[in-house]
Amino acid sequence: MKKYWIYIIGVCFIIIQLSGCSTVNRNENSLLSQTDPEPIAVKDEDIEKVKKIKDTVLSFDEIYETAVVLGKEDCLVAIKVHHLKRFRMKAIEKKLKKKLKEQFPKDKFTVSSDYKIFLESVRLKNRVEQENWSEEQKEKRLQEIIKLSQEQT
Amino acid sequence: MGKEPKSPEQKEYDQLQKKHEKKRPILRNCIVAFFVGGTICLIGQAISFFYIYFFNFTEQTAGNPTVATMIFIAMLLTGFGVYDRIGQFAGAGSAVPITGFGNAVISSAIEHRTEGFVLGVGGNMFKLAGSVILFGVFSAFVVAIIKTIIIQWFLGGF
Repeated sequence: MKKYWIYIIGVCFIIIQLSGCSTVNRNENSLLSQTDPEPIAVKDEDIEKVKKIKDTVLSFDEIYETAVVLGKEDCLVAIKVHHLKRFRMKAIEKKLKKKLKEQFPKDKFTVSSDYKIFLESVRLKNRVEQENWSEEQKEKRLQEIIKLSQEQT
Repeated sequence: MGKEPKSPEQKEYDQLQKKHEKKRPILRNCIVAFFVGGTICLIGQAISFFYIYFFNFTEQTAGNPTVATMIFIAMLLTGFGVYDRIGQFAGAGSAVPITGFGNAVISSAIEHRTEGFVLGVGGNMFKLAGSVILFGVFSAFVVAIIKTIIIQWFLGGF
């Protein structure tokens, strides 16, 4: 009886430990630590604009981290909301979307608080930097992520 | 039948029973259930993050495979006889999470195997699933009605 407990606790401990080590790239560990990723734009001339979008997003008190990807027409905003403010997540998303639409009326915004979307945005940023992606590749991946964010159970 | 007042002998017996009855350690049960249930949910969260991290699941869609994995683990543990011990130790802490459902399914399947596969295992395996579906659907219905009323009346339309 006693032995069982030692096994169970040991296995849990190992799982938890391993889940911490599993990341290759520090930037990809955006679940546990704050990475503050740089915003990326598909078109190089949009880089000033995407920085402005990021500042607008971070002007919200409830949001502490954001990854912004600006495409040709679409813009993906992945946000992380402070833990105790997550009860009002839907309202915050709505408010943010409205404000972004007022400031940048030309773009089509997709706001998501999903961790997966944030992770994929950070991964996209890393791969763009490391592999020198072309505009088409970036746009294609962006569309894939937007499609993923709209998936329902 | 039950409406008659208790006779003096019955009252005496009640007092005797009260004296010898073991006191239930409610506080201890609550604390143990809290921590064991929390540990199960922590494992579930880790599995959920595993699916988000290595597969193409979002936080929204990762719930389904996570639940399936948790039930699968609980079934294995029940088959090996470990989950019964956890249940004895933790009570509600092991019964309330979804693993308790897996335990109920597989333990009744083991129990009724002697009665044959169709009428024994097949008929009794989902005995608990019936009440889960009934009360799950009913409580979801009640919650949806309350939500609709609040949204319609107090927050002014959708």
